[in-house]
Parts: sequence; structure tokens; C-alpha cells
Amino acid sequence: MLDPLDLKLLRDLGRMKGQVLAVSLVMACGLAMMIMTRSLTYTLETTRSAYYQKNAMADVFASLKRAPLAVAERVAALPGVAVVEPRVAVNVTLDLPGVAEPANGRILSLPEDGGPQKLNRLFLRSGRMPRLEARDEVVLGEAFAEANGLKPGASVVAVINGRRETLQICGIGLSPEFVFEARAGDTLPNHRRFSVMWMNYRPLAVAYNLDGAFNDLCIDLTPGTAPESVIAAVDRLLTPYGASGAYTIAEQASAQRLNDEMRVLSSLAVVYPLVFLSVAAFMVNAVLARIVRLQREQIAQMKALGYSSRQVGLHYLKFVVVIGLLGTLIGGVAGRFLGASLVNMYTLFFRFPKLEFQMDYSALALALVVSLGASVAGVLTVVWQAVKLPPAEAMRPEPPADFQPSLFERIGLTRFFSPAMRMALRNIERRPWQALFTSCGLALATGLMVLPGAMSDSIDFLLTFQWNRQQRQDVTVFLTEPGSGSGFHDLEHLPGVIRAEPIRSVPTRLRFGHRSRKLSVTGIGPGTSLNRLLDGHGDIITLPEDGLVMSKKLAEILGARIGDLVQVQVLEGRRPLVDVPLRGLVTDYAGVNAFMDLSALRRLMRESDTINGAFIAVDHARWDDFMRAIKDTPRSAAVMVKRDQLAAFRETTAKSIGLIRKLYFVLAVIVAFGVVYNSARIALSERSRELATLRVVGFRLAEIRGVLIGELAILVLAALPVGLLFGRGLALYIMASFSTETVRMPIVINPATYSLAVTVVLAAALLSFAVVGRMVGQLDMVGVLKARD
Amino acid sequence: MTAEPSEPQPPPGTCVFVARGLRKVYHTGEVEVVALHGVDVELNAGELVVLLGPSGSGKSTLLNILGGLDVATSGDLSYKGWALDGAEENTLTLFRRNCVGFVFQFYNLIPSLTARENVALITGIARDPMAPEEALAMVGLQARMDHFPSQLSGGEQQRVAIARAIAKRPEVLLCDEPTGALDVTTGIVVLEAIERINRELGTLTVIITHNAVMAEMADRVLHLSDGKIVKARRNSQRSAASGLEW
Repeated sequence: MLDPLDLKLLRDLGRMKGQVLAVSLVMACGLAMMIMTRSLTYTLETTRSAYYQKNAMADVFASLKRAPLAVAERVAALPGVAVVEPRVAVNVTLDLPGVAEPANGRILSLPEDGGPQKLNRLFLRSGRMPRLEARDEVVLGEAFAEANGLKPGASVVAVINGRRETLQICGIGLSPEFVFEARAGDTLPNHRRFSVMWMNYRPLAVAYNLDGAFNDLCIDLTPGTAPESVIAAVDRLLTPYGASGAYTIAEQASAQRLNDEMRVLSSLAVVYPLVFLSVAAFMVNAVLARIVRLQREQIAQMKALGYSSRQVGLHYLKFVVVIGLLGTLIGGVAGRFLGASLVNMYTLFFRFPKLEFQMDYSALALALVVSLGASVAGVLTVVWQAVKLPPAEAMRPEPPADFQPSLFERIGLTRFFSPAMRMALRNIERRPWQALFTSCGLALATGLMVLPGAMSDSIDFLLTFQWNRQQRQDVTVFLTEPGSGSGFHDLEHLPGVIRAEPIRSVPTRLRFGHRSRKLSVTGIGPGTSLNRLLDGHGDIITLPEDGLVMSKKLAEILGARIGDLVQVQVLEGRRPLVDVPLRGLVTDYAGVNAFMDLSALRRLMRESDTINGAFIAVDHARWDDFMRAIKDTPRSAAVMVKRDQLAAFRETTAKSIGLIRKLYFVLAVIVAFGVVYNSARIALSERSRELATLRVVGFRLAEIRGVLIGELAILVLAALPVGLLFGRGLALYIMASFSTETVRMPIVINPATYSLAVTVVLAAALLSFAVVGRMVGQLDMVGVLKARD
Repeated sequence: MTAEPSEPQPPPGTCVFVARGLRKVYHTGEVEVVALHGVDVELNAGELVVLLGPSGSGKSTLLNILGGLDVATSGDLSYKGWALDGAEENTLTLFRRNCVGFVFQFYNLIPSLTARENVALITGIARDPMAPEEALAMVGLQARMDHFPSQLSGGEQQRVAIARAIAKRPEVLLCDEPTGALDVTTGIVVLEAIERINRELGTLTVIITHNAVMAEMADRVLHLSDGKIVKARRNSQRSAASGLEW
């Protein structure tokens, strides 16, 4: 048998189920986001660490020009080095049947001795490993194979060191090194146009004149070894062999990308729930304050019967505990469902042998604590009021509420207001906190509504900025090796080329103070019109004759400002080490980049007309001719086609952000409706006597609804501008947390986004007004009026 | 009813309400409560009628049906020849707006409006209202017009409620326990206001009360019991409200 107070609790809750549900839903939105993001982080973390461990992901990576295999043994002998795996790694272009544009591939050799891989072990999805003696068998990366419908038994043509070779696909696989399966330096995956593949050592090494040698090295450290000392030793050992500097897993492209994703998730796991739970706390406060006012006499009765203040206080706290529990339950189920659905989105970006959603139950426990904490904190003052109410006083009818003319009337504007408007203004002024909380809730809802639109706007801007204004070339070609100007001449004269601009890109480590980044400095000619450097306003930056221009993000990472001297350590050729002034900052949204004037870079490198690539604008009428020709260009190592990149962007990033956008939209609608509905219900209950009186004296239903809704309408209208400002702030915060070294989101919010937010909040408000307006029609006029207040 | 009730004040003695066989049945859950058991009554212009009866006798139900707050389950009710039974909600709203004034035990003023504004609520929508100031003067509140309800005593609040009810110059004033929440002295002041309205405006006034003393001020007294009028008497002479004591 339930305690009578608990029975009362259940029945009271049953009577106000609409409001209980509205508050719980808002709370659940925040908790669902929290549980979802934390669980996704947990899923990615556990899956990654299991994968890295099981398939022996290396700790340190190095690439070099060419070193005899014996050098690898010397590396293995270094203190702190547990396992070393030398290999041959080369970039090739691929020719897919029926596709005009070439694709890019990175071929990695399997161990020279034909034994199993010691590090970065392949996970074979289907087929088999290449036979020992096979010269043309490859295991193909899964993402590329899927995107192009390739299966074991099919073949693919690769230009290997200038010779077209038909490679037989014997298996489809994945590697912990390519969880993010993209070309080194690419920030977005393009699964149709990039593949990693594995083949036997010998045929690959022979083709590149690397037999008995290696040009890429993976190292596993003994547990507890600091990578810095090993890296320094490895660099000393490998520099004579043209190494460009070893780096740790933290700088490895795929691992870095995964880390970025988890960082984004973690920051979302905090800010979003915080906003929702604040709204929910406001709502809980309003609901309970109303219950306590309504049950004034019941509280007196309970006390008169001998219930202690503690029992009464607990009774009212239980209201919010039930709401908190319900919110956590709905949030938990929704979070699990959303997480399980969204985890599939990650397969667009990240490839694991198996990626299964794993619920982070600690998040659920945390959600419970947080939701109960927020609700209890929201109502402590209200419960305290109930507890301290002396029984005798509570049994007397509450005197009419105190009112005074509103501020607008006091300054002489009375004649502009109808009685209904005056009632509304005076009500608001009498309970400013309640009005403020309601408006805050609505402002938060409006703000949440800005976010999905802002994401769309950002993507649209990004697409235009990056692919129309910044990158005006159709194709970017990189050569296998830096070469003389004749290489550029060859590219310039390919069929269909309208304009070509040379690129000289040099691997470097940039240092400022104690911070450094390993990246290529790109030299481009003066007056380049294809790959343009733009500042934050979209204005073209002219490269100075000396000095560096770099991504704003890179300057931020290095902590360098314009005018500072940045140390440039070149990692090829003569390896000059110079200090170069930072002259300008580029606004870009993918990766981090550094640029120098082509001549300045060549002077630094003491070269005359060396290039290793070109930006090319192609006559679209001769597109296929150009593509055929470039496929047969023996020295091209990578060909990036802008429209393919754009398509890939739409398929991956745009699609996933689109999904998140929809989710945010639904959440914002729930909050907007919930807040307005809750406020309208409270207003209806608090003002039922007034409304019934108006009804009795002959006001029409529509007029009475006007009186009820007038006050809420004022609060809604007051909340909108604040909400838009808040939305902008929230968008800034969320975009900033999306902004990583690999991908950044521009902050662009179009007026249409603001209007949509306003429209949706107004629509949600109208819908709740309609629901509550119906209830006005059902008011029991006589019952309300004959009851004591 | 085919047209909006808009007749000029009928001469005293003409029938305003004619009720025949009024029945009202409430269904609360599975229980059926018969509140009116076939009431026949005629109420005339200018009359002051007091309805007496114990709790549950059906007084309030009858008053609510007369005032268009509720509709009878069966039977006929006409107001000045117009059938009120079966009237639509909109018609009842207009009927209340233009023809009926209500006064309840609890004053039901809008706390956020001053006395004058509470009355002005009605004068803003009625067809031929008096000025709010005039209505408040009739109940002796000309000096307290700009006070909010919280600044008025119970008796004053009830007088504002009366002023609000009569500002539309209703043909009918229906009062449900108008002094129920007041002490004797204040109650008398309120009754004096009602009496004055009835006398000066010729408004048919119906008062529900438990208080048999108030029957002295009526032209006619109807006793209700078990949903029926069990006794009716006409006072040969009305006592002045000021002379009542209880």
C-alpha cells in the first residue's frame, strides 16, 4: 500500500501529465545528447584502442628517400625501440575503367621477408593476402573498394613509376593506419578517388629501384618510452638517407583525425546538455511554484494533520524527482537510439573492422545525477516556501495579489493600452522573475533553432568560398619527384589546359618558440589566379616577395603573429634552416597550410625552376582528352580533381552535418513547444478565475484567449531578439568546437536562418496557444468562480 | 433565440423569465445527480426575488441556467419571449454580455485592474453601458475608483463587483450569496447597493442566500428543496436592507 502522500503525488502528476511530459522531454533532449555524444566517444575510444592493440598500430612513423634494409636494423637497435618494420610506400595514379578522371593510390609493401606484418597489421575483410610469388596482386582498401564496387578477382590499372600495370585484387582489407582512409594531407575522405593498397615487397621495390632498401618505416616503442628521444635518434640515423623527420602517432593523419572527432564530441557532450538542462530547471521551477500556490490549503491541512515540514518538503521534492527520473529514462532511451543510428555515420569517415555502438553507462548515471541536480536546484526556493508556510495562514484565502500600474502607464502611456494589455503588462511586472525565466527558456529555444541553420549557412559558404573563390583550378597535379621547369612545360601543354600555374612544395618543420608543426610550404607564383589566397573578408592576399603567409589556424597553433620570425627547417635537399618573417594570414577551412613566393622559396632551396606540381584550369569541352593525357603522364603521382573533392565533401561531411542539423532542429522544436506550452498551462491555471469571470460577464472565447495569450505573446516577442543573439553565441561556440586542425567551419549566419528560427518559435508558440486556447473553452465557469481562491 | 435580445426595459410586472418543467441532470462519473426536478417559475420585471434553500437544493443551478451560464437538460425557458433552452454558446455569450449582471460570493475581480478598469471591462463591450464612474458612484465607491482590489476591503471589492455587474444596465441582476464572505455590517452595505440598483434601475434582481433574514427585503421569496420550488410567498411590504439584522 502506497503512502497516502505518494498516492497524492501520483494522482497530482497524473492530472498534470501534459506539463510533466513537456518538462521531461526538454530535459530528455539534453540528456539524450549527452548520453549519445559520450557513448559515441566511448564507442570510438574503445573500438580504436582495441583495433590499435590487436593490429599493432605503430607509435612512430618516418619516411625517407632510400635506405638499405640494414639501416632498419640499426633503428631496431636504438634504446626504446621494440619493433621496426621497414617498407616501401609510394603514391601512384589509378585508372578506373569507365572513369575519365584518374584516382590516387598509396601502395604499401608487405614485409620484405614475406612473413606476416609486425606492425599496422592488415585486417582482411574478404579474399586473401597476395601469394608470395605474386607480382601483381594487391589487397585493396575497403572504403575505395566499396565506393567503386570492386571485389576480389577484379583488377585495377596503376601507373607504377611511369609504367601502366594491371593489378589483380586478391583481397579487401583495412589497417589501423588508415582508419581515416585518405591521402596524406587530405582533410576530407574521397573514397571514390583514393585508395590505399598493399602488395608484395619485391615487385614494388624493384619498380622503384628500392630493392634491398626501404623508404618508409614504422616503429613500435617499448612501453614507457618517451617518443621524443627515439625520434631524435631516428632522425639522426635517417637524415643522411633523405628522411623528412620522424613523427609520432599524434601527428599521423588518420590518428589525428580520430582525435579531432573525439574532441568535438567531448565538447558537445557538455555545452548542449547544459543549455537544455537550464531550460528544464526553469520549467520545473515554474511548474512546482504553481503547484505549491495551488495547494496552499492542502499544505496547511497536511501540517494540521501532523506531517512534519520535512515530510511536506520531501513530498514536493518528489514531484521533481519523478520528472528528473522520467527525463533520464526518455533521454537514456533516445540517447541510445540516436547513438546507435549515428554510429553508422562514422563509417563514412572511419573504417574499423567492426564499429558497434556501445552505451556508456557511466553517462547514464551522470545524466541521472545531473538531471536530478538541475531539477532540485530549480525548485529549492519553492519547496522552502511551502515548508515554512504556517498552517493557519495557509488556510486563509490568499488575499488578492498586489498590483500597481505598469511602468509604461506610470510614464503616461496608459491610453495606448487595452485592458487586456494592461493586465498582461501588470502581471509581468508583478512577477518579473517568472517572466524572465519564461523569456529565458524561449530565448534558449530560439537560440537552439539558429544552430541548425547556421550549420547549413556555414557549409554553403564553405562550398562557395573554398571551391569557387579560393580554388579556381579544376585539377591539381603533383609529380612523383621535384623536377625541372620542363615538367611544368609538359603539364602546361597537355590537351585542354587553359592555364597552368606551377607549385613547388617543400616538406618542412615550422617552429615558433617551443611549438612546431611538420608540413609542406607551398611556393606559388606572383599573380596566381587559380589557387588564390584569401583573407577573412574574402580579399586576395598578394604574396610578399619574402616571408611566409600561413593559415590563421596554423599561426594560432604556433602562437605566432604577423611580423614574428618563424623558423623554417626544410626537410629535403640541402635542408636549409632559416628564420622567415610571418607576413600574412590566410583564411582557409581545411588543414593548415603555409605559402611562400615561388621565387623566394626557390632562392631558399637554391634551385632555379624546380616544380613538383601545378594548378590547372581545364577547358571543359576537352575534359576527357585532358584526363586521358594526365593518366598517361608518367611522373604524376597524384591528381586532385576539384569536382570529385566537392562530391566527396557532399557525400561525407555535408551528409553527416546534415544529419546532425536535423537532430538539432527536432530538439529545438521540442524545447520551443515545451516552454511555451508549459508557460501557457501555468498561465491558464493561475488565471482561470480571471478568465472565467470574463466569460461570465460576456466576453467571447476569442477575446478571453486574447487576454491569456497576450501576456505570453509579449514574453515570446521579448525573447526572440535575445534568443537570436544567444543563438549566434551558441553557433560561434559550437563552430569553434568543430574547428580542428583538419577541418574548420566558417561562422556565417544568413538572415534567412534568423527568420526561420523566429518563424519556428512563433509556430511552436501558436501551436501551444491553440492547445491551451482549446482548454479555455473547457473552463468550468461556475465551478471556478464559486471556489475560494 | 432568433435575434439578439435588445428590447428596451419592460414595464414593471411583465414577465422576464418564464420557466416550465426545467430539469437539470449532472453526470459525475457513474453517478447521476438530478439538480432540478421540473421547476416552473415566472420572474417579472423590477422584482427583487430571494431564493432560499439548503445546500444542494438546486438554487445555484437554477440561477446559472437563468443567467445563461448553464443549460437545462430538459424543459422550456424563455427570456422576454425568446427561448433560451437550446440556445447556442454565442447567443448565450451575447445574452450574458447585454442582459445579465452576475454577483458571486467571491468577488472575482481581476486583481491586475483597478476598480474603475474592472468596471470598464464591461463598459467596453456592452451595448449601452453607463460610465464606470457612474456605476461605481451607485455603489458608493466614487472615492476609491483608482484602487487595485488588493487595496480594497471585502465589502468594497463586492461593491466593485456589483458596479461591474450593473454598468451594462442589465435587465437582470443575479446574485449568488453576495454577502456570504462578508461580516454583517459590510453585508448590509452591499445589500443596500443591490436594493438601490433594483429600485432605481428597475432591474429584475434574484438573490440566492442561506440567510432567511434577507427574505425580508424581497418582493417574493421562493423556497427550493430537492430541486423543486416547494414554497413561494409574496411580502406585502419590503423591508429596507439597512434595517436587516442577523
